[in-house]
Amino acid sequence: MRAITVCGLAAGAVLSACSINALADEGLALNSGHEYMVTTNYPNNLHILDLASDSLYKTCQLPDAFGPGTVQLSPDRKIAYVLNNHYADVYGVELDSCKQVFHASITQQPGEKARSMFAFTVSHDGKELYTVANPTQMLNDRYEVKQPRLDVYATDAGMNAKPLRSFPAPRQLTIMQSGDDGTLYVAGADVYKVNVQTGKFDVLIPSRHWKRANYSAPDVLYVWNQQTFRHDFSLLYTAAKFKDKKQDPATADYLYGLFSVDLKTGKTETTDFGPLTEIYFSGMRSPKDPNLMFGVLNRLAKYDIKQKKLIQSATLDHSYYCISFNKAGSKIYLAGTFNDVAIFDADSMKQVGSIKLPGGDMAITTAQVFVR
Amino acid sequence: MKHLKPINNKALKLEQAAAENRIEEVVAMNSVAGCASTTDPGWEIDAFGGVSSLCQPMEADLYGCSDPCWWPAQVPDMMSTYPDWNKDAQASNDNWRNLGTVFPKDK
Repeated sequence: MRAITVCGLAAGAVLSACSINALADEGLALNSGHEYMVTTNYPNNLHILDLASDSLYKTCQLPDAFGPGTVQLSPDRKIAYVLNNHYADVYGVELDSCKQVFHASITQQPGEKARSMFAFTVSHDGKELYTVANPTQMLNDRYEVKQPRLDVYATDAGMNAKPLRSFPAPRQLTIMQSGDDGTLYVAGADVYKVNVQTGKFDVLIPSRHWKRANYSAPDVLYVWNQQTFRHDFSLLYTAAKFKDKKQDPATADYLYGLFSVDLKTGKTETTDFGPLTEIYFSGMRSPKDPNLMFGVLNRLAKYDIKQKKLIQSATLDHSYYCISFNKAGSKIYLAGTFNDVAIFDADSMKQVGSIKLPGGDMAITTAQVFVR
Repeated sequence: MKHLKPINNKALKLEQAAAENRIEEVVAMNSVAGCASTTDPGWEIDAFGGVSSLCQPMEADLYGCSDPCWWPAQVPDMMSTYPDWNKDAQASNDNWRNLGTVFPKDK
């Protein structure tokens, strides 16, 4: 726990060769006003990157096993909550000290085995943490799939947190964010708004059940629970837009779009932003120009939302899952998959750097960029 | 089912059952005790019938799929059954040769 490994720009080098052991300073505090990125990787690392120098600032060691490593930050940006240990536990880690201050097991009932599919976040005021547990009752002769539940924890509940409140929840819930008025927004078959006091789920943005004339039902695969500088909750969809009521797939236009909730006002959007010509795993609008939409998987692509047009793209060394912007909107940080963060200039779409992380794959983690 | 046609007997039976409202609730991806009930094509061709939107190289997608039990037919289920499958290959791009085949244990 006392020794961290630091590694600078060394993309392509083997891990053992690029790592240097530095004297540990897990207690190195973050600086007020500085911009950081936090991300996780195998086997149990929580890395904090300094975005002024685009280098590794320090590494905290997480307990137990990796996966998915999704990070959610407290509103004061002092605590990182990480869903880990094969989707079975949420850990809270104080970023200044690397000290673990919170732990909740997704499994809470006797005889059950429960996991959260990326479904957790911190409340707008930092006082509560929400998870969706998908429980299976492990009986002697069979498994019984139980109803998912929304569990609400107090963030000051310490290392053996138990839910303050639990409510039945719909199936297939994934990412979520808390609005400024305390409403919880959760993505699933539709995007729901949830009253966390009563457990009432209401459809806010119809997704599977949308009624857009001459559109197919949308296809959504989105598990990157990003806390954006635009303070929105967004996810991508693809859909077919048919020529007429015959709904002939052969003549349809295939489109990319985004669902979005403004976390300040609760205002929602369902917006097509361009033709579907390649796959993006995550996408984000520019913090400085909300008309510019970016997506990433095998390429980094930029769209003009009003024109619904791809305007620029960049090739990548390999696939990246998770896109983030710096606050100014000038730089893009690509994380996920392997153990390097690629840095692009958002205007020129040229690669301007890379940060090699000690440790293994980031896999399906969600990184967050923030200003302390 | 508007744009899907059954091409084998199992799919035909499923379509008949759906027409008669005899389908049980689908709970795939919510059953986390082991995930052999979920399988998807996806490492073979992309959404366009080609390969350019598959992850490149495939190792980039490996633990993103095995961690959440996404393609259990093709990669071991690390969420429940083989959590240590990649213990000797934490960086898949460098250590993929250390990944082995898994087999069910004797009961």
